[in-house]
Amino acid sequence: MADALAKSDFLGREEQAAPKPFVLWRPTAKTGLISWLTTVDHKRIGFLYGISALFFFLVGGVEALFIRIQLAVPNNSFLTSTQYNEMFTMHATTMIFLAIMPLSAAFFNFIMPLQIGARDVAFPRLNAFSFWTFLAGAIIVNLGWFLKSGAPDAGWFSYAPLSTRTYTPGHALDMWVMGIQLLGVASIAASLNFVITIINLRAPGMTMMRLPVFTWMTLVTAFLIILAFPAITIALVELMMDRLFGTNFFEVSNGGMPILWTHLFWVFGHPEVYILILPGMGVISEILPTFSRKPLFGYPIVVFSGASIGFLGFGVWSHHMFTTGMGTMGTAAFAFTTMAIAVPTGVKIFNWIGTMWGGHLQMRTPMIFALGFIWLFMLGGFSGVMHAAAPADSQQHSSYFVVAHFHYVLIGGSLFSLLAGIHYWFPLMFGRKVSEFWGKLSFWVIFCGFNITFFPLHFVGLDGMPRRTFTYDANMGWSQGNLVATIGAFILGVGVAIYFGVMIYTFFKGERTRHDPWDARTLEWSLPNPPPEYNYRVIPTVHARDNWWYEKHHQAEVSAENAKHAAEEAAHGGIHMPFQSIYPFFAGIGILIGAIGIAVIDPNPDPHVIIGRKLAVTLVGLLILVVSVYLWSLEGNEGYHLHPEDEEGHS
Amino acid sequence: MRPSTFFIKSLPWGRRALALAAAAALSGCQWMYMNDRQSVMKVEGPVAQTQLDLFYVTCWVTLVIFIVVGSVLAYTIIKFRARSEADEHAEPPEQGHGNPFIEVGLIGASVLALAIIAFPTFKAIGFTYDVPEAEKAGALKVVATGYQWWFKFEYPGEQIAGAGNLTTGNELVIPAGRAVHIDLRSVDVMHSFWIPKLAGKVDMIPNRANLLWLKADHPGYYLGQCAEFCGESHAVMRFRVIALAPEDYAKWVTQQKLPAREVAVAAVAAPKAQFASLRTFKQNEIGFSADDPLESVEGWRANQFPDKDEDAALIAQGKALFQAKTCIVCHTIRGLPSAVGVRGPELTHVGARTTIAAGLLENNAEQLQRWIHNPSLVKPGNKMWVEGYLVNHITLSSDEEVALVAFLRSLK
Repeated sequence: MADALAKSDFLGREEQAAPKPFVLWRPTAKTGLISWLTTVDHKRIGFLYGISALFFFLVGGVEALFIRIQLAVPNNSFLTSTQYNEMFTMHATTMIFLAIMPLSAAFFNFIMPLQIGARDVAFPRLNAFSFWTFLAGAIIVNLGWFLKSGAPDAGWFSYAPLSTRTYTPGHALDMWVMGIQLLGVASIAASLNFVITIINLRAPGMTMMRLPVFTWMTLVTAFLIILAFPAITIALVELMMDRLFGTNFFEVSNGGMPILWTHLFWVFGHPEVYILILPGMGVISEILPTFSRKPLFGYPIVVFSGASIGFLGFGVWSHHMFTTGMGTMGTAAFAFTTMAIAVPTGVKIFNWIGTMWGGHLQMRTPMIFALGFIWLFMLGGFSGVMHAAAPADSQQHSSYFVVAHFHYVLIGGSLFSLLAGIHYWFPLMFGRKVSEFWGKLSFWVIFCGFNITFFPLHFVGLDGMPRRTFTYDANMGWSQGNLVATIGAFILGVGVAIYFGVMIYTFFKGERTRHDPWDARTLEWSLPNPPPEYNYRVIPTVHARDNWWYEKHHQAEVSAENAKHAAEEAAHGGIHMPFQSIYPFFAGIGILIGAIGIAVIDPNPDPHVIIGRKLAVTLVGLLILVVSVYLWSLEGNEGYHLHPEDEEGHS
Repeated sequence: MRPSTFFIKSLPWGRRALALAAAAALSGCQWMYMNDRQSVMKVEGPVAQTQLDLFYVTCWVTLVIFIVVGSVLAYTIIKFRARSEADEHAEPPEQGHGNPFIEVGLIGASVLALAIIAFPTFKAIGFTYDVPEAEKAGALKVVATGYQWWFKFEYPGEQIAGAGNLTTGNELVIPAGRAVHIDLRSVDVMHSFWIPKLAGKVDMIPNRANLLWLKADHPGYYLGQCAEFCGESHAVMRFRVIALAPEDYAKWVTQQKLPAREVAVAAVAAPKAQFASLRTFKQNEIGFSADDPLESVEGWRANQFPDKDEDAALIAQGKALFQAKTCIVCHTIRGLPSAVGVRGPELTHVGARTTIAAGLLENNAEQLQRWIHNPSLVKPGNKMWVEGYLVNHITLSSDEEVALVAFLRSLK
């Protein structure tokens, strides 16, 4: 393996290539704004995803609090109907696309290459491009708040024909459409990158069945994104065609079929929810073994369950459509597949419990969050199974019962696991450890606030309260439940504030931590905290699953191996690092402007009036994009070489 | 151990349990304040009953799973916790990797649990989809059409000479004890038709022929609401279902088929004393009085008869205004010349309905005046306002409103 690598271009040749004439600029700054705009380091990109996600999480949280204030009392007029509809549309869009997904991406970026013993992802500049495109999408989706047309208000699912121009004129929805398209581009590009990285850049000896479970979940999630996003891309293109150019995909008066949108959306939408939960499950599958001090119970089954969930996840989408009149056969088929997918999900929970059984449980903050996850995700799973019974679901669908269900799996599941991951990997990423007291306090306030908010909503939903309603009457008996839920939401907000406060404080002033503070099991913990830019001075050789645990218990053998490999790598020119580049950032700017341009095109029945001022915005954006990508391709990928033993004065 | 250390090291089981219990109690407590007006748990028809029975099956199965898995989880957390500092730095425990027998056993148990849910599910899907064969012949056929933001109900089996199907709006009257087959349509966006006590919802999708069936076991008064986000006034798109004993239903149909009720004017009376002008309503204020006299079959029945204090002259003024103010462009009142609009609900017998504005306001003089005074304040984005008042520059003085109210209330 080492010989093959030595002969390939990947590790680079001894001589540096002469700089190409078209290369305008090689950024070399390691600190400051330019270093962030031109970074291709997966750890920095992960960090950028992380802080963006946490920022938008707060935005989405404020939107949620506005919703809960409006619903705190019946017949309330805190928000108008339109404002409320904007709130729930943006709350969902923000939390799903701009908070949970990028927070998962932050971990995919930072942690996954470290777990497989790689120095970066396969395409570092593409990785940066994914981040800047994500940011562009996030900006466009939120632009409506600053425009006269207001924010999008047709729901995050934007059902046709409500989302067609007849019923939702104005550019807010066009902004939403283009924003989601960009987020799709970013996600697909990043996912392709991750798949190729995992398949091609694993350290020697790291077979697929020795991959840490988090990396496995990264792989499955990446495949889900690559296969699911095209469905919504198509749906959004068709919607834009209807809105801008008068096509009739969903135009009822000309034979359009709104049910088509519903199908396309949910073919994407259901895998999307597995995209939201699988990374978190991967995080939990790392945390539990570490804090139980024994390996994951039934690793092959856990991996296989994750893959099954990904695969079966494409066969259940119409359980979101049980009330659309699919007929007995269609309804029965999707009820069946939905129940089937509960099996691998349950199996994971059994295996997590099996991991802890017989272990030595260290009740640190990450473990507490992980335990909270298991309880809450289990409850969310139960209400999910209730939905699988389609006739029962026809009473639950579109009521607060569903709202309660998915918040249990999304907050109790996705969010708790990602919050656990932040605590768990904080020492690795930043070299500081979060205070146990404050971490646990934030957990309890979040846990209690969350349950007080959403548990009553199960009952309110069963009492007949539909969702997406800006108000309800005082005589319906839903008042107390809603008031309790609002109080809970504010408690949850306090918990989140404590969590954020703790994190920010710890980032700047937290107690420095020793190396490998949790006595963990996977490779990323073998690195110094924080890891150097090149990650591994010597690419490790992998002997077992949980290779860091193996290394700790076979130190002599590993040292000898590493010394040998260090000498080999030095002989081949040292560590090959990618150059930084400004072009992913410029390409992101181009795509941002281009997408805004498309979103503001005014549909005009006269086909000759299509070339105008507003099309110019699109053309400028596309021009910037094309030029950036052209220069990007010209600047080449030679990179440079590092000799860390020379830099640090010792080998 | 010092209390602070104790607190910091790990929260004791008692504290955890207390927090959980508090959360559960807080949420469970308020359950008893719900009043079941639109509940899926207090069902009154076989379709909803089947759906509820299936729900209970899922509840039992998940409860059993919760107890089993939950106790194992709780036990694990308690039993295998590291007890002290020294304990944590002890040798790692036995590094077991799994147990295929346990795995397969648990997978088998999961499949079994799901099978317990699956069989009644498939049976219920068949039962709830359409009227059972045995009852098909005698089933009542209704066509329900969703509009932004009201419901039209048509009875194809009841034809009116020169006017087609018997048509009403926002209040569906059905015979109790008889299957009702409802065709669901929409003219604009997706809506959903939901009467929790009688049946789970089915969506009303444009260009799609959906259907729903239900039966009300006994006469009763049921609340319904649109359950698919359909725009600005989705939250206030509601309706009522009134199930009547078969004889009462037959009488209702006969009454409905008659053209609009005429109130004879003996002579042109002197104008009545001024009514106090309409009070100001808070934004989004509830449209029902506290005692809500109309919200029952008895209340509905009482509302079928003319108001005792009917003023014939006022009604005549209102009738004239209904034409002059262009209401006839959108609304049908059979028997009133040129009142053949179909954009809005049919109003031939609107006085006999218990609610106005699609189940949103009690059908009394005050709320009716509130509604026609400014519909957009009651239902944001309302088409009557946007396509009617604004387009036709309709303005109403207080007296005109009062006259229109009297006219509409007279249409029993």
